[in-house]
Amino acid sequence: MSEPRVLKRQLLGAESWRDTKLGMWAWLLGRAAAVLLVIVIVLHVRNPTIRPVRATLLSLVLLHGLLGVRALLLDFGLPVRWHRALMIGAIALGALLFAGAWEWRWF
Amino acid sequence: MVLKVFRWAPDDGERFQEYDVPVAEGTTVLDALVDAQRRLDPTLAFRYACRVGMCGSCAMVINGRERWACRTLVGRLGRGPVTVRPLYHFPLIRDLVVDMSPFREKMTSVGAAFVPADGPARFAPIGRDSRERRRIDPAIECIGCGMCVSACTMVGHDARFAGPAAYNRVFSLQEDSRDAAHEDRQARLLSEDALVRCHGQANCTAVCPMQISPTESILALRRGAARRLFT
Repeated sequence: MSEPRVLKRQLLGAESWRDTKLGMWAWLLGRAAAVLLVIVIVLHVRNPTIRPVRATLLSLVLLHGLLGVRALLLDFGLPVRWHRALMIGAIALGALLFAGAWEWRWF
Repeated sequence: MVLKVFRWAPDDGERFQEYDVPVAEGTTVLDALVDAQRRLDPTLAFRYACRVGMCGSCAMVINGRERWACRTLVGRLGRGPVTVRPLYHFPLIRDLVVDMSPFREKMTSVGAAFVPADGPARFAPIGRDSRERRRIDPAIECIGCGMCVSACTMVGHDARFAGPAAYNRVFSLQEDSRDAAHEDRQARLLSEDALVRCHGQANCTAVCPMQISPTESILALRRGAARRLFT
């Protein structure tokens, strides 16, 4: 007897992404930032003086770190109904911290 | 309105078929499907029963999101064709009809059934305002429509992961003082394909028409498991 046909969301299918929820975006952004961090850290270690690389590194650290804090807060018992607000808050706080660092020429 | 419907049958390729159906104010996707079947194509297969948003049997993926066809107004889906697919992660039977038996099998695999404590049946002294009642109440309204299982990306990734509905049910049982299988389930909850598989994406919570949050239940089970490690 042949294997049953089971549909799955296809990574490259437009229909699969048509109604992607905010919680899913939060997870995807966190993962994408982690993968990019590996690349940018290597670039930064090779030459720590390139400002665009330092800026990218800071933005990725902020994004990945703050989305991680969001996940931790939910793990530790904050109501799941707050997860959208937490994501928006994490991104807004990250943008604020990045803007502050940019303003003070920290990098 | 154009209805783009997924068609599939054993030994027949899959395709989308378009039906032009009239729409009035208040027309639901289920109304449109019934119209297409009766007027245009009697071979079109889909499942429904109550038509009023109680049974959950008309769950399908409409414009990319899991919804009950009987509660989805065509007028609220925006412009363009309405795309209808069967639920993801369930074996297809035909067209929009899926085999729901994996839903029950996943429940069984994690012990999501009440096991009464030994001894004579007794009246359960669980007050309406008790902490136990308040924790369990939000999780008990599941009617088994399968939309959370369809929306969960981790079920698609790991077929051994029982998915949101099963762990939501397990949560309500683990919180129930009348149940006698807490320890048995606990070992299963800590396995590689159980609680750690949930990545907290909350897709299940977003699509649940009963406003249940399986994500909340899974996170609560995880906290319970962590507490046990330190006590």
